[in-house]
Amino acid sequence: MTTPTWDEPGGPMPNEDFRAAAQAIMANIEQVIEGKSATVRLALAVLLAEGHLLIEDVPGVGKTKLAKALARSIDCSVRRIQFTPDLLPSDVTGVSVYNQEQRDFEFKPGAVFANLVVGDEINRASPKTQSALLECMEERQVTVDGTTYELQAPFMVIATQNPIEMEGTYPLPEAQRDRFTARIAMGYPDPRAELAMLGGHGAHDPLNDLRAVADAAMVRRLIATARDVHAAEAVQQYAIALVTATREAPEIRLGASPRSTLQLLRTAKAVAALEGRDYVLPDDLQALAVPVLAHRIIPTADAQLNRRTTDAIVSEIVHRLPLPHDRNRSPYDTRSNNAGGNQYEPRGR
Amino acid sequence: MSGRRRLGLVAAGATLLASAPIVSIFDSYTWLMQCLLTVGLIAGAAVGARTLRFPSWAQALSMILVLLLTLTWLFGSGEEFLIPTPSTFGHFADLFTQAGQDTRSYGVPVPDRDGLLFVTVLGIGSVAIVVDLLTVVARRPALAGLPMLAIYSVPVAVYVDSVPVLPFIIGAFGFLWLLVSDNIDRVRRFGRRFTGDGRDVDVWEPSPLAAAGRRLGVVGVVAAVLLPLLVPTINGGLLSRLTQTGSGVGVGTGNGTGGRINLFASLSGQLTRTDVVDLVRLKTDEQTPYYLRFGVADQLTTNGFGSRTPNGESVNQGLPDPRTSTATRNFTEHRAEVQVSDSLQQGMLPVYQNTVGVDGLQSGWNFDDNQQVVFSNRRSTKGLSYTFDYVRARPTAAQLRQAEPLSPDDPIVRLNTAHPDDAAVTDLVNGLVANKRTEYDKVLALYEYFSSKNGFTYRLSTQPVGASSEIAAFLNTKVGYCQQYAAALAWMAREAGIPARVAFGFTRGEREEDGTYKITNRNAHAWTEVYMRGFGWIPFDATPAASVTGAARSDYAPDVDLPTQAPTATESQAAPGAGPSSTDGLERPDRPDLNDSGAVGTIDDGTTGGISGTAVLIIGLAALLLALLLVPMLRRVLLRRHRHAATVPKDPKVTTLSGPSDLVVTSDTVQARADAHAAWDELMDTMVDFRIPIDPTETPRVTAQRLVRDAVLLEEPASAATLLGSAEERARYARKPLQGGELTTALHQVRKGLARSATRRTRITAVLLPPSVLMRWRLGIAEGSARLVGASGRLRDAMVKFSPRRLLPHKSR
Repeated sequence: MTTPTWDEPGGPMPNEDFRAAAQAIMANIEQVIEGKSATVRLALAVLLAEGHLLIEDVPGVGKTKLAKALARSIDCSVRRIQFTPDLLPSDVTGVSVYNQEQRDFEFKPGAVFANLVVGDEINRASPKTQSALLECMEERQVTVDGTTYELQAPFMVIATQNPIEMEGTYPLPEAQRDRFTARIAMGYPDPRAELAMLGGHGAHDPLNDLRAVADAAMVRRLIATARDVHAAEAVQQYAIALVTATREAPEIRLGASPRSTLQLLRTAKAVAALEGRDYVLPDDLQALAVPVLAHRIIPTADAQLNRRTTDAIVSEIVHRLPLPHDRNRSPYDTRSNNAGGNQYEPRGR
Repeated sequence: MSGRRRLGLVAAGATLLASAPIVSIFDSYTWLMQCLLTVGLIAGAAVGARTLRFPSWAQALSMILVLLLTLTWLFGSGEEFLIPTPSTFGHFADLFTQAGQDTRSYGVPVPDRDGLLFVTVLGIGSVAIVVDLLTVVARRPALAGLPMLAIYSVPVAVYVDSVPVLPFIIGAFGFLWLLVSDNIDRVRRFGRRFTGDGRDVDVWEPSPLAAAGRRLGVVGVVAAVLLPLLVPTINGGLLSRLTQTGSGVGVGTGNGTGGRINLFASLSGQLTRTDVVDLVRLKTDEQTPYYLRFGVADQLTTNGFGSRTPNGESVNQGLPDPRTSTATRNFTEHRAEVQVSDSLQQGMLPVYQNTVGVDGLQSGWNFDDNQQVVFSNRRSTKGLSYTFDYVRARPTAAQLRQAEPLSPDDPIVRLNTAHPDDAAVTDLVNGLVANKRTEYDKVLALYEYFSSKNGFTYRLSTQPVGASSEIAAFLNTKVGYCQQYAAALAWMAREAGIPARVAFGFTRGEREEDGTYKITNRNAHAWTEVYMRGFGWIPFDATPAASVTGAARSDYAPDVDLPTQAPTATESQAAPGAGPSSTDGLERPDRPDLNDSGAVGTIDDGTTGGISGTAVLIIGLAALLLALLLVPMLRRVLLRRHRHAATVPKDPKVTTLSGPSDLVVTSDTVQARADAHAAWDELMDTMVDFRIPIDPTETPRVTAQRLVRDAVLLEEPASAATLLGSAEERARYARKPLQGGELTTALHQVRKGLARSATRRTRITAVLLPPSVLMRWRLGIAEGSARLVGASGRLRDAMVKFSPRRLLPHKSR
C-alpha cells in the first residue's frame, strides 16, 4: 500500500490550471520573500477570498516588500499610498476639480482606483483619512460629490502597520479593522532564509526583477474557482460556533462580527483551493481563526491587564471548542452535555 | 414554631408510635387513650416550658410534674382533687402490688386492670420524658432509641413464642421520624441548604451534596439484606432453602386456631435445619420408651390440621391418673429426668404420654386434660430441667380388639372426627375398612395401607402440610414425611368414624452409655393418636420406621414394611438411630434415603442433595458472574464485527446521473460515507480501549496525525491510520467520499499497531473490559439519571402549585 497524501487519496484531481496559476504566483513572490511560504499562501488566499490584508509587524521584516511583491506578480493596476499624518481623504478617494475647458467639475480618481492598493503605514494617517477607505473596502465603490464610482475587480487593499505604539500614530478604528479579512504577522525569517536574503539582496533588489505571472482576468477566474469550493454544513456550523464563541467568551468585550464569519469561510475556501482540495476542512478554519478573527475582537480590561493577547484568546477558543458532527453526537463528546442549559435553574423566591 | 419546640412534639409522637407493640398485650385500647393523654400533656408541658425559656432542669421538672398530675387524675384514690396527697402515693404503691399479682395470674392478652394500666401509663410517660430530654435538651436522638427499646422488650418478654411484627415496624418508623426530624433541624441551623450549583434546597428535598451518604445507605441496606441470604451457614438462608426445599424454621401463627404456633411448620423447620442441635436430654428407667410428646393438632378443617388453644389447671395441682379411667391393667410406672437445652424454646413441655406428675417446674405450667399436654402461656422450656412420673400402658392387639365403638354423641367423637369432605379419601377409607369388624382392625387396616408395598415413599424434601387438599394429595403422590403420614392416617381414621389426632414430639433419640437419650432436632416427629374406648389415646406411627431416626413400634402396630412378622417393641436400641428395624433397614430397596444409617452427624436426603446442589449453585453463580463480566467484551466484539462488516469494500457500482452536473450521488456514496463513519467510530473505540485520549476538538486529520506521532505507529499502521482519517474527513466534509479504501484492513493494522505499543495491562483490559463499552454504558446511565432528575424536578415544580405552604404568609427573610 502506498502512503496516501492528504489531498489526493484517490480523490478527484483538482483544477490543474488553478493549481499552476496559484503555484506560479506563490513561487514568484517567494523569490522576494524567502522562507515565508505560509504567509505568502495566506496573503494569496486573502486575495482569492476577495478580502483585504493587514500586515502588522515590527519595522524591517518585509511587510511592504510582501505587499509590493504580490502586487507586481499580478499584471494589474497597482497603486501605492504612503499614509502620512497630513494625508487627506481626497488623496485616497479622488477629488473633483474644475475643468476650465469643459466648464465643469471633473473627477480625478484617487489612489484606490486600482486592482491592488498598497497602503503603507496605514496607522500614521489621521482617522479622518483612514475612514476614507471604509466605503471602498466594503462596498468596492467610491462616492464623491454625490457620484458613485465603481472600483475594478479584483480589488484588494494590502495595508501594513507597525504594532508598536509610537508618536504620531492613530490606531485603526474597529470598523476599519473589521474590514480587513486577515491580519498577518511576517515574523522574523529563520537564519537560513536570512542568509539567502543576504546573498540575494546584497547585489540588487530582487523586487526589480519581478515580472507578473498572472493578470486580473486570471485572478478573477481563480476567485471564481475558490468560491466553488464545497463547505459542508458541519464546517459552516463550526465556523459559526467559532465566531459565536468569541462573542460569548468572558475575556472578550467585543466579539467577531457576522461579516467575519463570512470572511472566515471564504478565506477557508481559498486556502482549501490553494491546497488542491475542493472541500473545506475544519482544519482550515482552525488555522485561519487567529489571522481572521483575532484583530477584530476587543478584550476586556481584565484580559488586557493580564496581558492576554487576542491571538491567545482566539487560539484558546479553537482548542476548547468541540468539533460539530453532521451525524449523531460522539459518545466521547462529554463537554456538550452541559450545553443544554442547567436543569437546576435558580428558583425565584 | 421554633425547631426545638417542634422537635419536642416529634419526640412525643415517636414515643407514642414506639408504644405500638403494647397493643398485643392488652385486650382493649384503654391504655392507648390514657397514654395519648399523658404523653400529649407532657409534650404540652415541654413546649410551654421552652416557650417560657425555662432552663433544662426546669423543663424536666415540669414534665415530671405533669406526669404526676396526670397519674393522679387518672388513677387517683378518689380522695384528692388533682393534687397528689400522701394517700395518693399509698394508692400508687397498691396499684404496683396489684400489677405484680396481675402479671402472675393473667396470661396475655390481659384485660384492663388498674394496676397494669397504671404501670403502662407510668412507663410510657417516663419514656416520653426521657426521649424528650435526650432529643431536645441533649440533642442525642439516637440515644432515645434505648428507652423506646424498653417498650419493645415488654411484649417480647411476655410472649414466649411469637409476637406480631407490625407494631414493631410502626415503632421503628417513629424512631426514624425522630432521627430525620433532628437531622433536618440540625442542618437548618447551619443556615440555608444549597446544592452544588448554589441553588436553595427545600426542606424535604434530598440535597445533592448528600448523594454520597444516600449511596452509602443504599449499599449498606442492600448488603445487609443480601449477605444473610447468600451466606449458606445461616439457617433458613436462601441457599439452604433452595437446596432443601424445606420451609425453614417456620414459627408462625397457626391456622387461625387460637394464635398458637403452627406445629407442622415448626416440625418441618426442625427437620430441615442443616445443622444438628441438641434439644433435650432425657433419662428414664423405662427400657423401651415410646415418643416424647408435647403438642397435639386436633382440629381438621379444609385448612388442614390445627391446634385448639389448650387450657387447663396448673400442673402443681396434680395430674389425672389414666389407670383409674382405662380398662387396661398392665401399666408400668416409670420416672424420667429431662434437661431441655437453650435451643428449644416453646410453651409446651415435652413429656411422655400418661404423665401423672411433674416436679421441678415453676408456676405457670398448666395441663390440658383433653390434649394431654403441659403448656404455658408465659414460660418457655428454654433451659428447663424437670422430672416427671408417667405410666406406660402396653395394650396388646387382642386387648385392643375388645374396644367397642364410642357412641356418636360422645364429646370425644364429636370433637375428633370432624373432617373435610373428600370423595377420594372417603372411597379409599371405605374400601380399606370394609369387612373390618372392630375399631382396632379398622385402624390397623388404615395403618397398614401406608406401607411401601402400596408405593409410599418417605422424602423429607416435600412441602409441610398446609391445607387439607395437600393431605389428600399425599394419598395420591404417596411421597412425604412424618407430617403427611400422620395427618393422612388421622384423617382416614376420622373418615372411618374413629377419633384421631396428630401428636407432635420427638422420637427416642440416641442412647448414650449412661442410658441418657440425646434428642436433637433430627428427632422431631409427628404421629397419629387414635382413641380407643377403654384405652384412651393410642399412638400409631404410620411413617416408615426405617426413615425416622429413633422410630419405635408397638405390638399392636407393627412395622408394616418388615418382610417378616414384626418384632415386638424392640429391645435393640444399641443403634438407636436405626430404630427397631435397623437390621434390615439398610438393604431395603425402597428405602428412600440414608436417614437410618444412625450416626448423629449423618445428613438427611435433602441435605445430601443440597451439598451437590449448593456446589452446582455456586458454580452456576460463578459462571453467571463470569458471564456478566464477559458481557462488555462480547458487546465490543459484536460491535467491531458489525462495523467491520460495514467497512468491507464492495464492488463499487457508480451510476453517473446524466445531467448538467457531473455530481455523482448514488447509494454507493451514501454507503461509502456510512462505511467511513463506521470505521472511524471503530477507530475511536479502539483508541479508548488502548487508553489513548480522545479530543473532541480535533479534526480526523489531526487525530490520525497524533495517532501516528504519539502512539508511534510505523509504516503500515501509520498509513492505515492516515487512510482512516482521510476517509472520515472526506466522508464528513467532501462532496464525494473516499471509495474503495481497504478500511477493514486498515482497522486491523491500526489495532495491531496500537496493541504493539500498549502495555500488557492495557492490552488485557482492552480485550476483557473494553473501556469504550464501559464508558458508553456509564454515559448512558448518567444521561438517563439526569433525564430522570430533570423530569422529577419538573414534576415537583408542577406540584408546587398544589402545596398548602403557598397559602401560608411568607416569612421575611
